[in-house]
Amino acid sequence: MNRVLMAIFRKEMIQIFRDPQSLIIVLVMPLLMLFLYGYAINLDMKRIDIAIIDESRTPESRSLVAHVTAADFFHVTARDIPTTSIGELFNARTARCVLIIPGDYASGLAAGVDPQVQLVIDASDPNVAGFITSYVGEVAAKEGAPTASASPALEAAPSLFSVSPRIFYNPEMRSTVFYVPGLIALILGLITTVLTSIAIVRERETGTMEQILVSPARPRQIIMGKILPYTLIAFIDGLLILVVGSLWFNVPVKGSFLLVNLMMLIYILAGLSLGALISTRVKSQADAFMRAQAVTNLPTMMLSGFVFPVSSMPRMFQLVSAAVPATYFMQIIRGIILKGNTISDVLPQAGILLGMDILLVALSVRSFRVRLE
Amino acid sequence: MRRVLYLVQKEFRQLLRNRPFLVLTFLSPVVQLIILGLALTTEVKNVPIAFLDNDHTSASREIREAFTASGLFDFSGMASSEAQAARLLDDWRVKIVAVVPHNFQSDMKRGLVPAVQLLVDGVDGNSAAVTLGYATATLAQVQQRWGKAAAPVGPQPSTDGTQPGMTTAQPRSPGTPRVIPRMWYNPNLDNRLNTVPMLVGILLITTTTFLMAQNIVREKEIGTLEQIMVTPVRGIELMIGKMIPFTILGFLQMTVGVIAAGLIFGIWAKGSLLLLYCLTVVFCLSTVGIGIFASTLATTQRQAMFVVQFLLSFATLTSGLFTPIANMPDVVQTITYANPLRYFFIILREIYLKGTTFRFLWKETVALAVIGAVMLAAATLRFQKRLK
Amino acid sequence: MSDWAVDVRDLTRVFGSFTAVDHVSFSVPRGEIFGFLGANGAGKTTTIRMLCGLLLPSEGNGTVSGYDIIRDYEKIKLRIGYMSQQFSLYEDLTARENLEFYGGIYGLTRRRIRERIAETLGSLGFSGHADTLAASFPTGWKQRLALGSALLHEPAIVFLDEPTSGVDPVSRRSFWLLIYRLAERGTTVFVTTHYMDEAEYCNRVAIMRQGRIVEIENPQRLKERYGAATMQDVFLKVVRGEGQ
Repeated sequence: MNRVLMAIFRKEMIQIFRDPQSLIIVLVMPLLMLFLYGYAINLDMKRIDIAIIDESRTPESRSLVAHVTAADFFHVTARDIPTTSIGELFNARTARCVLIIPGDYASGLAAGVDPQVQLVIDASDPNVAGFITSYVGEVAAKEGAPTASASPALEAAPSLFSVSPRIFYNPEMRSTVFYVPGLIALILGLITTVLTSIAIVRERETGTMEQILVSPARPRQIIMGKILPYTLIAFIDGLLILVVGSLWFNVPVKGSFLLVNLMMLIYILAGLSLGALISTRVKSQADAFMRAQAVTNLPTMMLSGFVFPVSSMPRMFQLVSAAVPATYFMQIIRGIILKGNTISDVLPQAGILLGMDILLVALSVRSFRVRLE
Repeated sequence: MRRVLYLVQKEFRQLLRNRPFLVLTFLSPVVQLIILGLALTTEVKNVPIAFLDNDHTSASREIREAFTASGLFDFSGMASSEAQAARLLDDWRVKIVAVVPHNFQSDMKRGLVPAVQLLVDGVDGNSAAVTLGYATATLAQVQQRWGKAAAPVGPQPSTDGTQPGMTTAQPRSPGTPRVIPRMWYNPNLDNRLNTVPMLVGILLITTTTFLMAQNIVREKEIGTLEQIMVTPVRGIELMIGKMIPFTILGFLQMTVGVIAAGLIFGIWAKGSLLLLYCLTVVFCLSTVGIGIFASTLATTQRQAMFVVQFLLSFATLTSGLFTPIANMPDVVQTITYANPLRYFFIILREIYLKGTTFRFLWKETVALAVIGAVMLAAATLRFQKRLK
Repeated sequence: MSDWAVDVRDLTRVFGSFTAVDHVSFSVPRGEIFGFLGANGAGKTTTIRMLCGLLLPSEGNGTVSGYDIIRDYEKIKLRIGYMSQQFSLYEDLTARENLEFYGGIYGLTRRRIRERIAETLGSLGFSGHADTLAASFPTGWKQRLALGSALLHEPAIVFLDEPTSGVDPVSRRSFWLLIYRLAERGTTVFVTTHYMDEAEYCNRVAIMRQGRIVEIENPQRLKERYGAATMQDVFLKVVRGEGQ
């Protein structure tokens, strides 16, 4: 029985290594994607175009403007335009926001009245709008301090308690820390399901599948013989991405490296058996690709918590998310790499993944058998 | 020219006969739109929070109640110790733990200004920042209720002083400028107004580029492409004969998308639909052109799909949907000049949310047209009717 | 010169270090059924592709239907019909739609297309199945439909590359009857095959071996010269390099 399995395994490996194109896709593409995704997704804001309308023209107002535009956050693209032309400014995308300092700014500050500074924002991108608001708000808050201490009568009342935040795991709140482990999940999922489904369908298309079926090889062996080579390859891929990703993007693995590998294996298996399942239900390689895509790519990217938090989704989608293997792996891998989770921490999720593996393999074997009859 | 018409007629006959394909092209975008439009949000809601009360006084209870009553948080229980709090964070059970120190109430009475700690899971920097903002604001409200102004935020681990997204309580000491934000076009800062039209764009490029490439490579595989090469049909005629049906398809899909976005999410374009459609056509021409070009690089459908898949995911990522293009490294930014999605997203957003007119969108239109023309030219050059 | 349907000299095609077609010369008069025999890989398909303007010859020259195959290959396409080994049909179109498409591609007027389709369907025996999808045709019918598509525009010369591969003997026979009728009407038929019995049906055959033409002759004469009863035997003898 083992010999049959080995024979299929060996044939598959030879086929994979003889096809330089698929090799490149399997080894080069993930790295490429890692770098592209890793660099492209960067939520830290900078160089937002701003227009300044300073109706006050006093040292105080200039000080405010200087502080607002000090860091790299803003880039001044227009000054002192009439407020009526703001609409056109936004339409032409010359600036994303306009800071309007009223004429009575300086006098207001001195009198102790909080002068209102308008911040007109093109909120068509609400994320940016939010960032702009908080940033300017902070700068403005700091602005008031020196003037306040000048008038003792209006001294700020002492506060009762302070707030002291401690950021765990990612003190600098870098976005790469968040995305790189997630990328591993994404890329692995992509490769495993798509590759396996195509491999099996290709066999069927060329007619060699029939040849194998006529032999004494059992469906179980055929499926396993197909899945194992890709397991090996995907695993090497995952390792590659992990090592390069953590070294290059400076995302050190806090937990056990070995544990990460083990978990990768379990996840890969899920992807592969899903691919096998899909292959039993499609007719052509093109079909296989599309369906594998729809089932892995979209859910993995969108619903697994890769970018969009699962807890923010409507309840219904959270349920769907619970059926996506990537969701669990995402948590596992982020947990191990970023939080230093140990095996007991990830046991529940790993267990679920293993369960999915078994289910998927069983389903694909049964589906395979059904198609034969 | 008549030949082109016959080519187009053949394509349409084939397309219309392919029932599963039609379902895929028109039904699945709607389904995907619904799913993604509803599921995708970077908004932070229902944040699981735990509370570590080392004081057990009415003050600490009030703080706890402030959190439990707040609609932003999902109170998941009390932590028994700091070690346990850390465990809760490790286990992903909570995203934030509020810690009230010993002698909190008495220290406050004595004017010692004790610190309430907020332990935040920083893995997702974006969410963490927002969560911290919520918590800080909640605490500020408590302070206010207790009749005093909130204190400035304590020492934070920051590298350059800018903490995007962290809203600190505004000091109300007199003589401080107060910033009044006025949100134009999207007063509620609804993310969906942004993402839904963009999703339509993504679905569009997927259909046009991907299916176009697949279509041509399939003809290569079954031999009908060679058959056409033996006929008097010219390379350019073949290209146009392919472009027209798929552009029309994209056009129709756009309609479905627009209607779905409107009916399901209530998002209708503020600006001219006519302009939107015209620009959609230009967009489709560019994406179909890319699909055709991609098909000249592949000999099997499988290869074609990999190539297009790769191009599309890169295009999506660098389109400005997830992150602003201005944030990307300069190299990547330069490459995005060739990304039709980048321009189309701008067009979609401008027309949908701001009602922008063509006068401000001509640059994007030209860019799309250029991409289409270049791709078409490149494909025509590569498509040799006679092999050397 | 322009009286020949096909006239080539020293036609050669090299792929890297491999010479697929090696200085091949022959002339085919109009109305002839000219057969190209050879084992797989002998160079038959490559030769046809050069004649149809699908492949640029590495060396040599010639004319097809009076047009230069190097310079005027596009003009040649108007005058020839081509049927590939794969039958290249649109399986998701009906027989009628396939024919209609090719008619339009070759620039026939709508009325002419309609007339030709009716004639073609009649002579192919499909009249009842004009609106059935090509996918549901048995192989023999697909073959005939492919031939019909190649002939819709009534070309002077038709190139058939292994037209009977994988087709049952009965269909093969009726296919050749169609070819005879074609030739009777003056169409030149250039056909490659590895079925030796079909060689008997040709006016002349050329036997290719390793890119070279070893014999060009009328089948009857070949059999006499090689003292063989069938073309099969002739071919075996030629390929083995045995004398006549």
